Amino acid sequence: MNNTSKSGLVKYRDNLMSIKSSFLGSFLRSGKPTSDKSRTAVVVNNFFLHLHGAKTHVNSLKPTYTLGLGLISFFLMVIAFISGGFLMVYYSPATETAYNAVKDINFVVFGGKLMRNAHKWSGEAMIIFVLFHMARIVYTNSYKRGREFNWVIGVVLLILTFVVNLTGYMLPWDQLSYWALVIVANIAAAPKELTDIFGVTQYFDIGGATKEILLGGTEPGQDSLTRVYLLHIILLPLVMCIALGVHFWRIRKDGGLSKPDNVTADGTGIVNISSPEKEGGIFPTHKTYGLMELAKGRTPAVDNDVENTVTSWPHLFVAEIAVFILTLAGVIAYSYFVDAPLKEFANATIPENPAKAPWYFLGLQELVSYSAFMGGQGLPGLAVAGLLLIPYLDREEEHFGVWFSNRQGKLIAVESLIVGATAVIGSLAFVINFGWFRNWWPNIHQLWIIAINPGNLLLGFVVAYSLFVIKRTGSTRMGAISLFTMFLICYVILTYTGTVLRGPNWDFYWSASQWPIH
Amino acid sequence: MNSKYYLSLLLISSLVLIAFIGIAFNRELNPEWKRYQTEYKEFLVKNATDDSTRERAEKIDIGMKQVYIKSLKRSDRCVSCHRGVENPLMADAEQPFRQHSGNYLENHPVASFGCTACHSGQGRAMNTREAHGEEHTHWDFPIIPSQYIQGACAQCHDYEMLRKEGGEKVAQGEKLFSEKGCRGCHKVDGKGGDLGKDIAGMGSRPFAYFSMKHVVGDHNLYNWIMQHFENPRKVVPDSDMRAFLTSEEAELLTNYMLTFRNEEMPRNYTLIKNIILPKTDGESLYRMYCVACHTDGKESIYDEIFERTIPAIMNPAFLKSIEDDYLRKIIKEGRKGTQMTAWKTNAAGLTDEEVDEITKYITRNRPAERPQHFRYKRFGTDAGKGEELYKLRCALCHGDKGKGGKRLLGMNLVFKDTDPEFLAITVRDGREGTPMVAFGKKGVGLKDQEISDVVAYLTKLSRNK
Repeated sequence: MNNTSKSGLVKYRDNLMSIKSSFLGSFLRSGKPTSDKSRTAVVVNNFFLHLHGAKTHVNSLKPTYTLGLGLISFFLMVIAFISGGFLMVYYSPATETAYNAVKDINFVVFGGKLMRNAHKWSGEAMIIFVLFHMARIVYTNSYKRGREFNWVIGVVLLILTFVVNLTGYMLPWDQLSYWALVIVANIAAAPKELTDIFGVTQYFDIGGATKEILLGGTEPGQDSLTRVYLLHIILLPLVMCIALGVHFWRIRKDGGLSKPDNVTADGTGIVNISSPEKEGGIFPTHKTYGLMELAKGRTPAVDNDVENTVTSWPHLFVAEIAVFILTLAGVIAYSYFVDAPLKEFANATIPENPAKAPWYFLGLQELVSYSAFMGGQGLPGLAVAGLLLIPYLDREEEHFGVWFSNRQGKLIAVESLIVGATAVIGSLAFVINFGWFRNWWPNIHQLWIIAINPGNLLLGFVVAYSLFVIKRTGSTRMGAISLFTMFLICYVILTYTGTVLRGPNWDFYWSASQWPIH
Repeated sequence: MNSKYYLSLLLISSLVLIAFIGIAFNRELNPEWKRYQTEYKEFLVKNATDDSTRERAEKIDIGMKQVYIKSLKRSDRCVSCHRGVENPLMADAEQPFRQHSGNYLENHPVASFGCTACHSGQGRAMNTREAHGEEHTHWDFPIIPSQYIQGACAQCHDYEMLRKEGGEKVAQGEKLFSEKGCRGCHKVDGKGGDLGKDIAGMGSRPFAYFSMKHVVGDHNLYNWIMQHFENPRKVVPDSDMRAFLTSEEAELLTNYMLTFRNEEMPRNYTLIKNIILPKTDGESLYRMYCVACHTDGKESIYDEIFERTIPAIMNPAFLKSIEDDYLRKIIKEGRKGTQMTAWKTNAAGLTDEEVDEITKYITRNRPAERPQHFRYKRFGTDAGKGEELYKLRCALCHGDKGKGGKRLLGMNLVFKDTDPEFLAITVRDGREGTPMVAFGKKGVGLKDQEISDVVAYLTKLSRNK
């Protein structure tokens, strides 16, 4: 009897002593990874890790290939989510209390200012990095071979990034929030310009209706704030998470990150395996994941190029953690030095002059200054449509996963950069110096301006030039490079113009220091 | 595979991250107010004269302080730095520790009034720059400079009391405002002229409302008001404001302007017992509404700001020829096309009784003798001939179209309601004490018929207007 109870206690003691390894084992489900097999098991058995492949191609780990841009965008979102949760504790979405709540976050909440800055800057940095990430996809020719729809999801995520930033901008309920809300509501009401011309506004006021749905009334107020808040903290993050989940899942199903066909670990580029034959499908291989092997058609491949893969644990995860810490360090350092703006309490009687949307929309506001409908909805709509169509209009399979495809691609990119910049600067310089139709013929019908304005002409030029590139080179891929490069440079220069060069009354100034003192 | 690269990236990023989290923590743990509080505590401990004081001083806790007053909707954290504000030992200390001056806090304890209800500034802020609302902090109501602070007292106290006890400046400002004729152009509570801006809410207008381009020194509400009083056209170049004030007067009026706030203090805070009803005798009303333009009314003056001649309305010759009814009508309806405001109840807001009082005051020195009647109506007139005569005789002073104007001695003659009899008498007899000479037989020698023709021409101009 004595022996039995003693052995029970011993067992208990032994279990207690081995908690560390048994807990770790239960957590990892396959013990400490020591062999390639157990390293693989760690990935497959872990909810968070199993989104990754058990093995990762060396090309995906090459810093100069992905530049980590997609990951950085994702991590920025994670930082924004965490800091946003922190801010939500103190924020209160009522027009009387919101401003004071933000002031209190700045003044008395421990670390509140840093958190608010981090939230603001990680959100806005997302816009930049998502655009960079898209540029990487375009220039490395990675929107093909089953990835076409993932590009579409990416464009949707870009739009969501814009909107979630915008809704956040409105929450402090200061002058910036209020007047940005006014501008956005007016852009939402822009179709009125068109319906007015055809005299159907009273029957079919789509612009007015959109505006009222957004504002919860005809003027910004408590209802607008409630709506914007709900969009910002529930609806948009939820949709983003789902879209992002699909985005990631499809990367796996499409065979991991894109890579050139002949990349090798030693960098010689000589493929030393012979590809087996398989009918159907886009991957030149015969073996796929599990059940999918049974089906014909496009399927992800596994055993292709095995020599050039490494176990994801630890190679990939070290890289991911490094990028995460880098992102976090960047956000915290920037937030330490630069404070998120907070102006006077919202005042409906005193318009900001110039009343500006947040910076990432100022390119659009520049276009809106030509025509509300085209600048606010027509042109951005066409630009998004153009982005969505890129993978469907360029279906050349050569040079997959290669930066700029070839030497010609680099030249086309540089050429388009110069041509696009010249076109956009030229059109801006023309408008700033000579004005447009309304300045020349004050009574001209608005329809003329909607049809012919610098924004439309610019878009027309960009499309025409990329078609010209396709004709000249005989390659739709070159057209895609050209189109995207010109889109990017137009966005950058228009945004710069709207942010820095436009002052009170949307007049031109070389810098804000030249603005007339109010 | 590139693992070395990623490991070193990880290492460097981690170091940067830890470093920044460290300095951010350090910044959070050592805010400005904590430094001040430590200094305050050390000062008290050092200067303690007996053990019990020292013991108490040593027990002072260091932490954020705020006065939260629900009914005033204020959280004033000023006391986080100004900890000695109620401590008599700090009477001679340097700011931010000095005790509040005077005996104001006896009746206005910090616990129930806070700070910003009187001093403005940003009560929630925890650093000097933003708490005091310095320039570029995006706070509309910076701390009120001490020379204008009495404007805050009038939120709760009446002027009777302020005049006697510590509110002299604002009380004098209120008096000046009535005596300088400010209401001639500015409405207060719906009463007053409309050439200038309504005064309502002046003391709580947001920064962005004002053009700060020409304001010297800090760009804020207080400097704008003060400098605008000192020289309206320096701050607002196209201003027509007729304020010719000394700096002292400007300061008094600035105090008074700051009493016009949008927010009202809750009823249990206000102590207004004696509401002084504005005086309604003719002289006071004249000072309140008319004096800014007409001054003492003895002489007609060419005014550089309005660029026209303002008539002498208390000149004996004028009073002799004008009928009370006509004068009353002019006051009530104003003179369209000139700066003369319509003072009737549904315009500038004067009651009929007040207009009567003003009329009585203006005409109090009317000479007993009345002018000889002209009987304009008995003449058949020819406006064409009148026009020729006008061009010859009158246009030099009154301008080609009879409207007076820039650099012209004569005044406007073209009004909506013009009284031909009054005009004819004035042309015939002239107006003593002004450059207007008599054009009748006693003077220049025009015949009554000719005078009638000129008057007919002027009446025609007025009708066509």
